[in-house]
Amino acid sequence: MKTPTDPTRDYLAAVEREASALPAERRQELLADLAEHIEVTRAERPDATPGEILAELGDPRTIAATALAEAGEGGAPAGAFGSAGAPVRRGRVHPLVPLLMLTVPYLVTTFLWDVPGLALCSGLIRIAGGVLLCTSVHWTAVRKIVGVVLTVVAPTVAGIVWRETTVAPAGDAPALVANLVALAVVAGTSAWLWSSRRS
Amino acid sequence: MEPGDSTKQARAAAQLRKGVLEYCVLALMRDRPRYGVELLHALEESGALATSQGTVYPLLSRLRRENLVTTTWQESASGPPRRYYALTASGRAALDEFSHVWPGFRDAVDTFLTVPHPCAGDPT
Repeated sequence: MKTPTDPTRDYLAAVEREASALPAERRQELLADLAEHIEVTRAERPDATPGEILAELGDPRTIAATALAEAGEGGAPAGAFGSAGAPVRRGRVHPLVPLLMLTVPYLVTTFLWDVPGLALCSGLIRIAGGVLLCTSVHWTAVRKIVGVVLTVVAPTVAGIVWRETTVAPAGDAPALVANLVALAVVAGTSAWLWSSRRS
Repeated sequence: MEPGDSTKQARAAAQLRKGVLEYCVLALMRDRPRYGVELLHALEESGALATSQGTVYPLLSRLRRENLVTTTWQESASGPPRRYYALTASGRAALDEFSHVWPGFRDAVDTFLTVPHPCAGDPT
């Protein structure tokens, strides 16, 4: 009467599951060590049941936790744990965040241009959006540069030229058209960035 | 309160074990290479150093990565081949270093634990 479940296999599967945060190579090594231990013990103590051997080995979660702790120390910078600290967290914001920060304030100021203080807030949010875009892991360096130029630099330069020089035609209608063109460029660039993001 | 006390004692023992276990494992290999199950038996017999067996393997893996031990497979008369752990030169050096530090450490702790405490003079 052999049951189809194999306690040893279940046990090793549990260790594998609990140790999923471990680099694959380290995890396989741990599983091989445990499997070897079980085999050797079985050969040395034929009377011991698989259940006894596994109970002596201990809780899979404890073993996995120990393995994770050991992987964290001992100066093994090549492992996933060497880089699992702060550097990975940086740039892990959702790709939509910088794009919305670049686009929405521009949209709002285009239509609410006479609200005091709004332009300053909008400018700060757009700069923050540009920084997030540059530190994001979702785009290549080239795309980041193109994105920042088209969504931040170009509209800002155009705005300054428009206000500070006399090349622009006077009147509200041309200004609105220019703003809509700039908005289209910003929104179009954001859409392009969104569609070309890496997961 | 009894169960709480025993949990605290177990935690204190686990903390102490964490610091010294790897040197005890290295010491077990001083005279000859040993295989995993053998190392675990020796630790178990010691009593205080007995630990959940499976947790020793991640430790052995680290010792291997840090090049303090090397491993070789050896056939066995009974059952599967065993992976034997042996000290490397740097493993031996680490063990010697610990052997020098340990007596002073142990004596210092003993000094604090035994009464009367030499520095316990409480200025009235």
